[in-house]
Amino acid sequence: MTSFTLIEKIIRNRTDVSDSEIYPNNIVWVNLDLVTARDYAGPQVIDLFQKNYIGSKTFNNEKVIFTPDCYPYGNDPKHAKDQEKIRVFAKEHGIKVTDLGSGIGSHLLFRRGFSKPGDVVIGADSHYNILGALGILGQGAGDVMLAFALKTGKSWIKIPETVKIILKGDYEWPTTAKDLALYVLKELHEYGITGKAVEFYGAIIDKLSIEERVTLCSLITEASGVIGFVPADKITADYYSKIGIEIEMLSADEDARYISELVLDIQDLGQYIACPPHPHNVKKIEEVMGTPINSIVIGSCTNGSSADIHDAAKILKGHKINPNVRFGIVPATREDFVSINLNGDMTIILESGGNFFGVGCSTCAKGQYGLTGGETAVTLTTGNRNTQGKIGPADVYLASPVVAAATAIEGKIAAPKEVVKR
Amino acid sequence: MSKETIKAKAKLVIVDDIDTDQIFHQSLLTIHDPNEIKPHIFGNLEGYKSFGKEDNVGKILLVGKNFGKGSTRQQAVTGFIAHGITAIVGESFGPIYYSNSVNSGLLLVEVPGISEFKVKEDDNLEIDITQSLIINQNNGETIKCVKIPQPVLDIIEAGGLLKLGEIM
Repeated sequence: MTSFTLIEKIIRNRTDVSDSEIYPNNIVWVNLDLVTARDYAGPQVIDLFQKNYIGSKTFNNEKVIFTPDCYPYGNDPKHAKDQEKIRVFAKEHGIKVTDLGSGIGSHLLFRRGFSKPGDVVIGADSHYNILGALGILGQGAGDVMLAFALKTGKSWIKIPETVKIILKGDYEWPTTAKDLALYVLKELHEYGITGKAVEFYGAIIDKLSIEERVTLCSLITEASGVIGFVPADKITADYYSKIGIEIEMLSADEDARYISELVLDIQDLGQYIACPPHPHNVKKIEEVMGTPINSIVIGSCTNGSSADIHDAAKILKGHKINPNVRFGIVPATREDFVSINLNGDMTIILESGGNFFGVGCSTCAKGQYGLTGGETAVTLTTGNRNTQGKIGPADVYLASPVVAAATAIEGKIAAPKEVVKR
Repeated sequence: MSKETIKAKAKLVIVDDIDTDQIFHQSLLTIHDPNEIKPHIFGNLEGYKSFGKEDNVGKILLVGKNFGKGSTRQQAVTGFIAHGITAIVGESFGPIYYSNSVNSGLLLVEVPGISEFKVKEDDNLEIDITQSLIINQNNGETIKCVKIPQPVLDIIEAGGLLKLGEIM
């Protein structure tokens, strides 16, 4: 009996080939549980589908969802047309659309139970691997793969080698899952996980909520990894049971073959920040404390949940945003927006001088909220990319919602502890 | 393209961690026509911003580590096809970029230790697919590349993944 890592096991359950074909670096076809596309790339996927497969139906309209989440409502005629193309195609083929204002597709997949642990899902989003936080094999895919998948329900994958990562120790607030994710990114980029999967273990995992696990897994793309998994456990099962879904807790075999094992000491982990020009240029916050910042965004699939916004609201309560700072919040999903309304966080943030800009993606692509135009707009976001020129011509830093909030008050990179003490 | 060997001149862009935003910037995402994508390739990569206007037809592009990391954008592949690039050779590639390239019929070749390979701009290179070797015909240097998996060659041979979809 062969033993398998988690990704090998998931692939094995979704392929027609025999067990002897399930080994690292082999390429296999997988049967997809769900194919999605959004207002970025979705229109091109539709064009390719219609051009190459004239008159065809999709492989299964109930296994396709369009999740427009990139561009705001009617801010640009080109985007509005693209969004309409999705609606027209979806109607014609009987496909579900989570339309503008619903939220980031990858988050809706678990929040609304469209995907569950053990599923294989692809979408036009390079951070679809955040779904690894729930034991789902989510993968970003380009236009061609998605058009092919719409027709066939299949995609191919090079089975990655897996690195087993053990997170040893514990940390305390104001260190959060984002600091952990940044520290892990720094270590993994140096270690080298290009094209590899990772599985996270360690006592800390039992303490992390689904939102915190998503944050942890969200920076694997920035280390060029395939996916980071937190195998489904009781926390995952409880999460799904609240939306009436029973899950299977798929885990790696005990004697699974890992390419390597890495122990990362996270005891008393401090706070970290990704500095320009790469997400992996991660430093201790002390090294850049005091750097002037004038544009701050809390949002993205990495840190846009209500829990993240709550973290910021705790810091902001009773404080005013520095007048030199523009401070925007873009909740990940409608559900997150409702939560922060109900618990009062939205009022706290509005009273402090923060602003809300709809629901969905942010600071990642043209037309989205949070981009800057000038050489003088130095940005700090809770997102996942700070590549030169992506958000604007000036420098971009990536940090946790608590660091973002403390920085918003001070107008320069600040540690939350100092702000709260005052 | 012959299945066994590819011969072409080298074009060097040896920079590690080139993100898709440096290949084709996110501000251009509504552009999808290959000819319109072409002039913008490497438009956000310091030192290589003129690449879009250069003639590199038929060349083999040599890159560094983690090439094409970042977003899922297909244009970052389409642009090199529009430039007539024959293949991209690098230390390693972002996983999504790798599949996007193969799906569009652009061959990527992984070469561990490529920084040791002595090559100058416009040297004549030969990729021997059967032997998994790259040969610099100007100085006789050879280096081993990762064996290209058969399904990848099949997809490229079919003219890309969409063609395969017609019969699946």
